[in-house]
Amino acid sequence: MTDINKLDLKGFCTNSTRSVFHTMLSMEVSPVEANPSMELSGSKIVGCVSFTGEVTGSICVHVSKQFARVMTASMLGMELDEVEDDEEIQDVVGEVSNMVGGDMKSKLCDSGFPCVLSIPSVTSGSDFKIESKGWMRHEKIAFQQQDQLSIVEVFIKSVV
Amino acid sequence: MTLKVLAVDDSKTIRKIVSKAFSTYDCEVLEAENGIEGLSTASREKPDLIVLDITMPVMNGVEMLGKLKGQPDLKDIPVIMLTAESGKENVMQIVKMGVRDYMVKPFKGEQLIERVMKILTLQPKAAAAASPDSVSSPYFSIVDDIQIVTLPEKSDRATLIEIEGDFNQSLKTMAGAGCGKLILDSRKVKEINMLVIKFVLSVVQNCQKTKIHLRIVGSAALGNELKGFQETSGFSVNTSVEEAKATF
Repeated sequence: MTDINKLDLKGFCTNSTRSVFHTMLSMEVSPVEANPSMELSGSKIVGCVSFTGEVTGSICVHVSKQFARVMTASMLGMELDEVEDDEEIQDVVGEVSNMVGGDMKSKLCDSGFPCVLSIPSVTSGSDFKIESKGWMRHEKIAFQQQDQLSIVEVFIKSVV
Repeated sequence: MTLKVLAVDDSKTIRKIVSKAFSTYDCEVLEAENGIEGLSTASREKPDLIVLDITMPVMNGVEMLGKLKGQPDLKDIPVIMLTAESGKENVMQIVKMGVRDYMVKPFKGEQLIERVMKILTLQPKAAAAASPDSVSSPYFSIVDDIQIVTLPEKSDRATLIEIEGDFNQSLKTMAGAGCGKLILDSRKVKEINMLVIKFVLSVVQNCQKTKIHLRIVGSAALGNELKGFQETSGFSVNTSVEEAKATF
């Protein structure tokens, strides 16, 4: 089993996020410098999946409501003004977090930390932030797509 | 005969993408959002193929697969797992349970269709299958035995997906009818963006695969963009359909 502190969580997250945006949304996202206190302001949607087993943790994908609409249109091959349904937007953000989280879960399993994945949960609103304490590792990676910023956070700890 | 495909996934988005992937083929896509619903639909409809997610509420995909394989009337239905999880042990476990294929998300609809084609013979929808000129699309025409595809001014994602679907049908029927020349006319397109470039590259690749002779008509800007891609670096872009026809 690899030491949990030696896992390249940032690399895992960056590669899987870029791959999901490229394949499912035909969008190229570039990682940009993120500080630990970086947050999206205004109306936003956060999709999270958890994994539990010999490691426990979660991955959260934060996007603005406006960008989530663009993502939805892109993933479903629609025009932006055809996206009206909030449920549809939340499902897309949830599915993106599921794909990024699923890849992380697979990397953890292959590194000797067997775990299972939860179904995604999605939270939307304005001016809220997610604070999570007690983790051994926490990475926050920001991505830029044109003028839109998204943030991917991963929290994990070993339970063995 | 219309084939029945059952998509079992808790995400409506994924079910829509799967449905869209099959939309140009003679298939009926049935949907279920968890394993229980999936089993029930499979028992009732006896689909020709099941596309199955793993992580779902109520009953997950692995449990559904186990139950499916335990039922004599359902056990032979081919199953393609479509899941975000790609861990080696996970894949081994699923493969041992008898799935026909395993696809990891993220995925493209075309990739799914490629996998399905290894299991089932998909027929393009009947309306388009008769002859090259039966593609009922405003973007397709035939002049002097040459198939002409004209991209509209507003070539957005939805339009290009529609044209690509018709184009793929058209290629098959062209090959069957011995019609081997195609002109892609992009002069009306208002904005040559990455979507358009990707579409052109896809047309070039498909024509190469099916040995269709392709000529492209468009602006100098398109010609410059295409020079940057390996597939099209040697392509000359013609300025008119007449000029393109003369080069065949």
